[in-house]
Amino acid sequence: MESWVRFNSQSQAKERIIRAAQYACTLLGYTLQKGGAAADLLHTVSQLEAHMSLSRKLLRLGNSVEALEAAKRAIHLSDGVLRLCLTISHLNRAMYFACDNILWAGKTGLVPEWTCTSGARDLSDVYELHLLMDREAHYRASKSPPSVQPSPSLSADPPSPAPEALPWLSRQLHLLVTVLYTNPPLLLDLLKNLCDIFIPLDRLGIRPTGSGFVGACGLTSSLLSIATILHPWLKLKP
Amino acid sequence: MDAVVQFTSQSQGRDRIFRATQYACALSVYLLRNNSERKDLVAKLKSLETNMSAGRKLFRLGNTINSIEAAKRTMQLSDRVLSLCLTAANANRALYFICDNVLWARNVGLIRDIDKERWSLNASRCYFLSLVTSLTRDVYEVIQLMAQKARDRHFRQKMELHLNESPEVAEAVIPQLDAFLFLLLESLRSHPAVALDMLKNVCDLFIPLDRLGIYQSNAGVVGFCGLLSSVIGIVTLAQPKLRLRP
Repeated sequence: MESWVRFNSQSQAKERIIRAAQYACTLLGYTLQKGGAAADLLHTVSQLEAHMSLSRKLLRLGNSVEALEAAKRAIHLSDGVLRLCLTISHLNRAMYFACDNILWAGKTGLVPEWTCTSGARDLSDVYELHLLMDREAHYRASKSPPSVQPSPSLSADPPSPAPEALPWLSRQLHLLVTVLYTNPPLLLDLLKNLCDIFIPLDRLGIRPTGSGFVGACGLTSSLLSIATILHPWLKLKP
Repeated sequence: MDAVVQFTSQSQGRDRIFRATQYACALSVYLLRNNSERKDLVAKLKSLETNMSAGRKLFRLGNTINSIEAAKRTMQLSDRVLSLCLTAANANRALYFICDNVLWARNVGLIRDIDKERWSLNASRCYFLSLVTSLTRDVYEVIQLMAQKARDRHFRQKMELHLNESPEVAEAVIPQLDAFLFLLLESLRSHPAVALDMLKNVCDLFIPLDRLGIYQSNAGVVGFCGLLSSVIGIVTLAQPKLRLRP
């Protein structure tokens, strides 16, 4: 119970739970539709999803400031690639939240609807860019960690002057798997971003997958996010 | 900026800002209700208020557990009166949150066949009781502070000085009342946390009083009191020294 109180007092934690519930509703709606459920049940589920989505937008109203602060901190990182990717990622997140706020204002009736249709598209573009930058940063970070030791099976191979493509690829994959295995926060973050990326891909029509798949991906990434809040050692820093 | 980010990262901080906005909208709607040129703005403000209220109900979904945990903690306090008041306040708040959660479920369509009006009245009753017990606690704190101050020699000298300052007024009116008020004001001034908490609870009290029909004011008074209590809530959260503990 104590841990629930501590968890609940964080605004981000609440937002993640509501996000998990929202995507669970998306998945449930898809499953019920496939299973031929009653129309009013489907209507209730979609209404609940819309309510959670709008409320999350309300909860995110101040997040642009937070993202800008994070961008200011990321500028001071020592690693060049990480600095570039994370700063751009945070700036994109700030833009995403700004678009998100405009969308909320439109849905609440504070600003006219026309500002919001372009905002929705901008939102997805920005969000996708942020996810890509994040993944790129973490992938680069995983390729050159100082503490990773090459496995004995690899070092036993004599180095050839012109390496074949296939053994080189298998060596890189092996390195990637080792790095991810020894670095759970990185693995978790990669998985989360991978799941998240399907959402804007579907919304923008680049790779339509369907509401069921989007719901499952959203739910998985929310649950992974909740896990990083519950166990701060799982959170990737910076 | 850092302070703003830190404040809004707390769930309570955000909720108080939303509450302040909600009641500011309610007050503005009341003030502009007769202005025919601002009908558009009034509609927008009403929509914003409804939106904030609905969002806050969703965010409050886990608060029952918070209140039960708080009640468990306050049961262990050494001071019996304080323990009783605070535990009763937290228990009533937990019941209020349960009613509030049921109303949320009714609003989103998860539960259909419940009497919305009855549950709304029950929620207001629980909220009212929690405020009354909180105010009782405030009054108890003030009495303790006054008793402590009355025993203080330095204060007694100050009191003599004050009573002798305006002799024609002090003897003409009721000197005991004058002394009592002086003691009360000095006690509140030396402990602003108690004063703020009392003011916040008094402002909040107008909301269920109006809803339950015990003391019917109007939407403007409710809006103003809600806004004032939310602002005090924000101030006490931003400045922990001004928050009354436990």
